[in-house]
Amino acid sequence: MIKLFLKNMTPWYFLIPIIVIHFIVIAIPSILSLALCFTDWNGFGKINFIGLDNFYELFNDRVFKLAVWHNLIWTIFFLTVPISVALLGAFLLTGVKRFQLFYRFIFFFPFILASIVNCLIWKYLFHPKHGLGPFLENFGISLFTNSPLTQKETSLFAVGFVDAWHFWGFLVVIYITAMYQVDETLYEAAEIEGATKWQKFRFITFPMIRPTFVFSVLIIMIWSIPAFDYVYILTGGGPAYSSEVLANYLHFQAFRNMNVGYASAIGAMMFIYVFIVITIFGILRRLDWEI
Amino acid sequence: MLKYIINLSMGSLFSLFLISTPSFSKTLVTWWNWGNEGSDLAVTITEDIQNRFNASQDEIELKISFKGEDVNEPTRTALLAGAGPDIITSSGSTYVRAYYDGGFLKSMEEYSKKYGWNKQILPWAYNLGVFDGEFYSFPKNYESMVLFYNKTLFEENGWSIPQNLSEYESLAEKIKSMGMYPFAYGSSGWQPTHEHLVGNYFNTYVGPDNFYKALIGEKKWTDKEFVEALELLKKHMLDGYWSGSLENYYATDWDGFSAQFVNREAAMLPIGTWGFEIMQAFSDKSDDWAVSPLPIISKNGGNPNYQLSIGGTMSINASSENPDAAAKVIDWILSDKSRVLEFSAKRGYAEWLIPLAYEASDFEAGADPKVRDYLIDFAKVTGAGDYGYTTWTFYPAGAGTHIWKDMESVWANDITVTEFLTEQQKLWDEARNANQLIPIGKR
Repeated sequence: MIKLFLKNMTPWYFLIPIIVIHFIVIAIPSILSLALCFTDWNGFGKINFIGLDNFYELFNDRVFKLAVWHNLIWTIFFLTVPISVALLGAFLLTGVKRFQLFYRFIFFFPFILASIVNCLIWKYLFHPKHGLGPFLENFGISLFTNSPLTQKETSLFAVGFVDAWHFWGFLVVIYITAMYQVDETLYEAAEIEGATKWQKFRFITFPMIRPTFVFSVLIIMIWSIPAFDYVYILTGGGPAYSSEVLANYLHFQAFRNMNVGYASAIGAMMFIYVFIVITIFGILRRLDWEI
Repeated sequence: MLKYIINLSMGSLFSLFLISTPSFSKTLVTWWNWGNEGSDLAVTITEDIQNRFNASQDEIELKISFKGEDVNEPTRTALLAGAGPDIITSSGSTYVRAYYDGGFLKSMEEYSKKYGWNKQILPWAYNLGVFDGEFYSFPKNYESMVLFYNKTLFEENGWSIPQNLSEYESLAEKIKSMGMYPFAYGSSGWQPTHEHLVGNYFNTYVGPDNFYKALIGEKKWTDKEFVEALELLKKHMLDGYWSGSLENYYATDWDGFSAQFVNREAAMLPIGTWGFEIMQAFSDKSDDWAVSPLPIISKNGGNPNYQLSIGGTMSINASSENPDAAAKVIDWILSDKSRVLEFSAKRGYAEWLIPLAYEASDFEAGADPKVRDYLIDFAKVTGAGDYGYTTWTFYPAGAGTHIWKDMESVWANDITVTEFLTEQQKLWDEARNANQLIPIGKR
C-alpha cells in the first residue's frame, strides 16, 4: 500500500521545484497584491486598511472606465484583424512551394524584434515631418498629415496596428503548423469533387485547425488585458487618455502616482476578467464543445 | 602530499588576508546611483567621485553602484526589506517625502550643523529637505526653466525678448509669418513635458507671489489668475506656438525639437537648463545662441525670475551602519565648489550641479562663459528671493501627475480649464490633509 502510494507520488517529486518557485514568485505576490486592494499604501510607508474604498473610487473614475472600454476595443480588434490576416496568410502560404521558409521568416521577423524597436520604427514612419506622410505627399497622396499616434480619434487603433503588425506573424506560424497536420487526402477528395479554394478552407482547413484557432482566440482574449508595452512606448495612453488601457493606467497609478493600493484594485479587476474568460472556456469544454 | 596541500592552502589564505587587509580596516560606504554600469556617466562618477574620494583619505572605502536608469525602484525595494545603500539617491522631492514618511531616512541635522551644510547649500534648496524642522536631504542637481533663443536671428530682425503679453504674442505672430515656429518643443517620449509649459505660464502670467500663495494654501488653484493662465496656454498651444500644432508637439521628441531650434525652424526654445547640452550643436553653425529667464507675459509685465527645480536628491539611509562615514563622503562632495563645477562641466552642467553659491572664482579658466554667467546670476537672483517654482519639485505626487496627465484633456476640449483646476484643488486639499506636501521655504 505504502509502496503504491510512494509510486503514485513520484510525478509530484519532479513537480515540487516548479511548484515551490511558482508559489514564491507568482502565488504569494498575487495574494499580497489582492490584499493591497483594500489599502491606501503608497508603496513606501504605513499601510492603512480602507475597505472597499478603492473599488468605489474605481467605479467613479472616468479614466478607468475609458481604459476598460479601450481594452474591449483592443480585444475585438485583435480577435478580428490579426486573426483574419494571419488565417489568410497561413492558408496562402501552404500553397507556396518555393521559398516558403523565407516567407515564414519574413512574417515572423517582427515578432522576434523587441517591442521598443518595433515602436521606434513606426514612430518614425508616422512622423509628420520625416515619415510616410511627407513621403506620400510627394505623390499627391495626403494620408498622414499628422501622426495617427497623436490624434485622439486614431491613437488607439494606431497603437493596435503597430502591435498587430508584430503579432500576426506569430499567428501565421501557429496556424500554418496546424494546417500542415491536416490530412492531404481530404484535399485530394475535395479536388476530385471540384471544390473551390474557399470551399476547401471553409469545409476542411478551418474545421481541422479549430482547436488551434480556439487556442489563439483564448490567448488573445487573455493577452489583450495586460497589453502595456506598445501603449506605454508609443503614446503613454494619450493624447487625452484616448489610448489609455488598464495595464498602462495600473502602471501610472503604482509608479507615477504612488498609489499602489489603487493600482492593486485595478489589477484585481483585470484578474477577475481573465478568471471569467478561462472559466467560460473551461465550462464550454466540459459541455463537450470541441475547443 | 597532504602536508603540501595544507601548506599551499595556508599560504593562499595568508596572501588573501594580506591583500584584503586594507579593505577590512576601512569603513565601507555604499551608494546607489542611476545609470548603467560602463556608461559614460558611470565611468565619470566612478573616476571623479569614488576614486578621488578613496584616494583622498584612508578611513573610508566608497563604493558607488549603478542601478539602471531608474534608481528609485531598486532603492524602494531594498528599503522596504530593511536594506539598501548607506547613501540614497532619489529622483526628487516626491520620493524624499515618501522615504521620509516611511521612516527610511536618517536626520542629517547634526551633520549639517557640524559641517556647515546649512550655510553652503542655497537656502531654497536646503529648505526642500527639511521635514518637521530637521534636515534629511539635499538636491544633487538643480535646474531652472529658461529661454534659449537664436541670438543671430533676433539681431537680424531687430527682435528683443518680450516684456509683456502683447509683445509676446506679437513676436510669436512675426515669427510664424516667416514660416518658423515661435518655440521648438515637444512631448514625444516624455509626456510630463506638458508640466513645463503649465509651470512657465503660472510663473510668468500669474506670477511667483501668487504661485507661492497657492502652494502654501493661501490662494485657490481655481482663482481667476490660474484659470486665465491655462486658458492662455491652451489658446497658444492650439495656435501652434510649439512646433506648429498640438499634433506636432505631441509627435516631436528631444532630437526633433533640438534640430528645430538649431536649424532655424524655430526661433526660441523654452526648456530647463539641461538644454545647455543642446547648444553644443551650434558649434558648427553660423548662428549664435543666447539664454535668458523666461519672458514675463502678464499684461503689465514684471521682473523676470528663475524657477526653482531640483533634479535628484541625496540622503542617508536610516538603517545605515555607518552614517558618520556616509556624512563624511557627503561633506567631501559639498566642501569644494570648484570640484563640483569641474565634474558638472564634464556632464554638460546637466547633472551634478549641486545648488551651492557659485562665484566667478569657482570656475576653471575654460568654463563656458554663458553657463558661468547664468549660474552666477541664478545664485544672485534666487539668493535675493526673486524666484518662481516648478511643478515637479513642489507638487505632491497626485497633483504633480494630474498637472501633466490631464492637461491633454484640456487641450482636447474633453474638460474645461475650471474643471481641471477644481480637480487640482481637490488633490491639493487631500495631500494637505494627509500631511503629504513638499516643504516650501518661506518666501
